[in-house]
Amino acid sequence: MFELIEKGLESKTVAKANLVQVRGQTRKITLCTAQNGVIENFSHITINGISARVLAQNKSWGFSSTNQVKKEKVEESLKTAMKLASASAKAKHQKIVLEPVPIAEAKISAKAKKPFENADLEEIKNIPQEACKGASAVGKNIADVKASFLTIQDQKWLASSEGSRIFQESTRVLLFVDVVAKEGNVYCPASENLGHTGGLELFDENPPAGLGKKVAKKADKLLKAEAPPSGRFRVVLHPTICATLLHEAIGHPLEADLAMAGGGFGNHVGKPVMSKLVSIYDDGSVERGLGYFPYDDEGVKCRRTLLVENGLLRSFMHDRTSAASMQTSPTGNAHAWDYSVEPLIRQTNIGIKPGDSTLEEMIEDIKEGLFIEGTFGGQAESSADFTFGFQNAVWIRKGKLANMTRGANLSGNAISVFKTIDAVSKEVVLRPGACGKGQFAVQGRVVPSVRCEIMVGGQGGK
Amino acid sequence: MRTEDYWKFLGDVARKTVKRLENMGAAQVEAFYLATRTTETNIRNSEIFNENTIEDMGVSFRVATSDKHVGFACTNVVNTEKAVFEAGEKAFTIAKLSPSVPDFTLPTKHKIPHVKGLFDKRVANADVEETVDIAYRLIQSTENVDKRITAKGGIASFSYIQKGLVNSFGIDFEAKETQAAVYVYGSGSQGGEVTPSCGDLELKRSFDLNPEKIGKTVGEMIVAQFDPKPTSSFEGAVIFEPSAVSYQLFYAMMSALNGENVVAGSSPWVGKLGKPVASEILNAEDDGLLNEGFNSRNFDDEGFPSQKTALISRGRLKNFLQDATTANRLKMANTGNASRSGSGLEMASQIIGGGYKAKPKVFPSNLTIQAGKKTRNELISEVKKGVLVGDMGGFVQAGSGLISAQLVRAHYIENGELQYPIRGGMVSGIAFDWFKQIDVVGNDRKQFFNAVVPSLRVEGVKIIGSR
Repeated sequence: MFELIEKGLESKTVAKANLVQVRGQTRKITLCTAQNGVIENFSHITINGISARVLAQNKSWGFSSTNQVKKEKVEESLKTAMKLASASAKAKHQKIVLEPVPIAEAKISAKAKKPFENADLEEIKNIPQEACKGASAVGKNIADVKASFLTIQDQKWLASSEGSRIFQESTRVLLFVDVVAKEGNVYCPASENLGHTGGLELFDENPPAGLGKKVAKKADKLLKAEAPPSGRFRVVLHPTICATLLHEAIGHPLEADLAMAGGGFGNHVGKPVMSKLVSIYDDGSVERGLGYFPYDDEGVKCRRTLLVENGLLRSFMHDRTSAASMQTSPTGNAHAWDYSVEPLIRQTNIGIKPGDSTLEEMIEDIKEGLFIEGTFGGQAESSADFTFGFQNAVWIRKGKLANMTRGANLSGNAISVFKTIDAVSKEVVLRPGACGKGQFAVQGRVVPSVRCEIMVGGQGGK
Repeated sequence: MRTEDYWKFLGDVARKTVKRLENMGAAQVEAFYLATRTTETNIRNSEIFNENTIEDMGVSFRVATSDKHVGFACTNVVNTEKAVFEAGEKAFTIAKLSPSVPDFTLPTKHKIPHVKGLFDKRVANADVEETVDIAYRLIQSTENVDKRITAKGGIASFSYIQKGLVNSFGIDFEAKETQAAVYVYGSGSQGGEVTPSCGDLELKRSFDLNPEKIGKTVGEMIVAQFDPKPTSSFEGAVIFEPSAVSYQLFYAMMSALNGENVVAGSSPWVGKLGKPVASEILNAEDDGLLNEGFNSRNFDDEGFPSQKTALISRGRLKNFLQDATTANRLKMANTGNASRSGSGLEMASQIIGGGYKAKPKVFPSNLTIQAGKKTRNELISEVKKGVLVGDMGGFVQAGSGLISAQLVRAHYIENGELQYPIRGGMVSGIAFDWFKQIDVVGNDRKQFFNAVVPSLRVEGVKIIGSR
């Protein structure tokens, strides 16, 4: 592949470009979904392709991709990208003068203890089947169980006109379990995901049957739970929902492109923006994280970027363009979902540094509040206004966990919510995550439990 | 080779592969092949940010053995017969190893209709100068409304789509379609306070786009958001505007109507055929034949003819959405709703994406709610105390219909007049209850991706204020 894409860099078509990046990729996806014990979908997907990205007249990027991995197609994509970049240069006001980045020559394969390549189809098929069995065994109220096992095997090549030549290879393994429990007219959904960069060792500590059972037990228990309350509460957010809040409502406003568009953090670098107990980072080098990337898709080395330190805003996440316009260095956050799309500013593995509380201590100090668990995802504005679904809550009364409630949504402004954080747990967990900012991405989150105040939109009373 | 030659080659090898797999003992084989070319210009922070062209071509195979063991595989390596055949063979190998899918079937051959206005040569041949021009006009027209506005993002996009379907039951269809889409969103800043993002879109098959109108609408939406106030909690009438309906309410309805959810037992409308599920003023149908409809088609994504299907008539449930397999399983008629659009909130389907990469799922074509007669102003003028909701943030729980959503672009209404934009706050309730509480349907129907919906006014909704 290098030979093919390198040739393109020498093409006369792009002789006048400021920068040329050519990427190539092969991706294999295996999906096996079992629903109520039947393999409902067993799919094998192969995607190959190349893309060319060109910066022209120090003003505008052009991008072109194709599934045809051929010499003449590399040339054609470069030509199109150059034309696209030039077409809009006249309508652009701002200049893009990129800071040079170190030239990288690297060949990196992500580690896996039990490589997926060694698994046969029989073994693959058993993973979601086992999860289904584990869930169905919970009882007659388990109405619908769906378990999807998915792997993404990637090989990526990047060659740039600056001289970088980067090859990266990785496998990501995921398992999703969704259960609906039903009794009469009452439906209660629950779900949980596992995922990492690596191999089938993902299931050593969390066997699929156990995960299925855990999710089904929760859905079943929710049938008897009361409706969630509405209003503002002092809460402890479990890492599952903390991860959603961190990624969506804090992470996105810390992405430089959204920040520059009038995001909630303004341009307050160096100033206090949240509770002193909170330090936030993004780290593409967390090896087991779903967002593990040694280099980003502009050839910038991924590292740990401190975003918030003890409540003070330290940095945004950047690609080379945003770094240039904010006169700082890129942070390795330019990532493309696959060869066919251009890199955008994305989180890799975003995390909150561990605090010094135990979960018991965090609950103990609450007179009346909620312990909020599980996520149904959600959305947020770059202002940090958010709405997220949680799967269930447990009342905290006089410092003790009491009865369970069903899920509802949380809403508010995350920056305001993060100002109210008065405890962060010692324990942090690595969670799988996903994002749909224009294009898809799988990412990691390294999250503790946090205690804060938040608005709950349930139907019940106190 | 030119793209057209590749396309012809792909169709030929797809047909050959179907035959070869049949000869190897496969009972049912389907090849779905697709070529897309998209030219788009993206907007970021008042500027043209970049231009992309993305071309892709791929083929997928569904293969079933005689005892209904089913496998799926696809590839976009389509320049040799060998690579395409390997994908077919892989699907067959997977099928032989999979447990059987009861009632699995591919559709048989029927005459297909011709829906008008799904292809426009001008969109198919659109050049980047044209998308740049439209994107530029979007920015200008949004920001010209008021100095405090920034067009934060958006897109002008033209796609040319060719699709083909071949199966063991004689289906051998091809179709050409185009899609033109513009979208812009922005917010306004005043005294350090930023309004929520407001956006609007136009989805067409032809070049007939009006970026000035979209930009002006967005600009006006933003201006209406200045000086928001919190409201207290109360129960009142809520007018959900089309954009708000097209998301959470639509998703709840679509999930309840989905034949797959009927099979799985997770639709709350199981066993309710003929019974009331909504207010008697509500009529809904799935219309795959809608002229120029954004999600119209001659045949669905497994080759069954498109049709118009009554789903809810005067509030009573008339039918569910089906593909060949769910129809077979439920002993109901196929409604031509197999779709590979890949849409859905499930992470697995988002990772895979749509088109040739996706196995068909049941999905609406254009799920249409019949428009009423009243204008937006008339809807507002009849409300004593309530809220006008432009958009809502947050998901709906499909099975239970639970919506507890953040208010976005919402206004407080009192004595028939808009009072002020609302800061913060949520609405909370069960979508399936709200369907029954609809008292008026607006005349302002709008096309979204696969929803064509008007404003709905719902009585007795719980509003959670932040005051």
